[in-house]
Amino acid sequence: MEQPGTQVAVDAPPRGWDRAEVTLPVLAFLSLIGGQLPSFTTRANVYTICLGGSMVWLGLSGRVRRPIATRLGSGTAWWLVPIGIFGVFEGSTFLLGTPEYPTFSRLADPLLEDELVRSAGYLAWLTSFWALVRR
Amino acid sequence: MTLTRAIAIAGFVVAIVACAVVEVLARRRDSTIPTLGEVCAHAIAYEVGRVPIGRIGFFGFWWWLGWHLFAR
Repeated sequence: MEQPGTQVAVDAPPRGWDRAEVTLPVLAFLSLIGGQLPSFTTRANVYTICLGGSMVWLGLSGRVRRPIATRLGSGTAWWLVPIGIFGVFEGSTFLLGTPEYPTFSRLADPLLEDELVRSAGYLAWLTSFWALVRR
Repeated sequence: MTLTRAIAIAGFVVAIVACAVVEVLARRRDSTIPTLGEVCAHAIAYEVGRVPIGRIGFFGFWWWLGWHLFAR
């Protein structure tokens, strides 16, 4: 039986460490380590899988979940514009699969070879992951 | 740079800029457009029975994305 998204009530109060001053430096430190690990290495695979697995465990356990504040407005459909544009280009580049018409990740690969850019990308991935698990 | 490569880059840039524009519009006072975080929160809360399909889908995708970009 299907249940649409409901207003989630959270019983537990926010934890003391669940603050930006605490979590951001931790995520930045983890990102600096991740940025040093080159692709296609066992270390990079293990590190990414362990970090992602920890985030998934936190998200599914509901330890840091926050309540939904509002109902969605009538303008929600506007989000289909950027999502649709991205989907069209990612889908067509993936299906054609040529270097002359590359996917988003193939375009990002050369940029992510630089350790600083890689760490910044890692930080963006981790902070957005953290934002998702707190929803 | 080939024309098709330039088209692909332009397409992704347009998508990212459009995302930023909608987010800015959503943060205006009295806007009917929800922020990206609010949209994600509602999609994540989707459940089938007692199975948190939304959470499993979002977290699984984001986990795979990080592995795909930083480990593969």
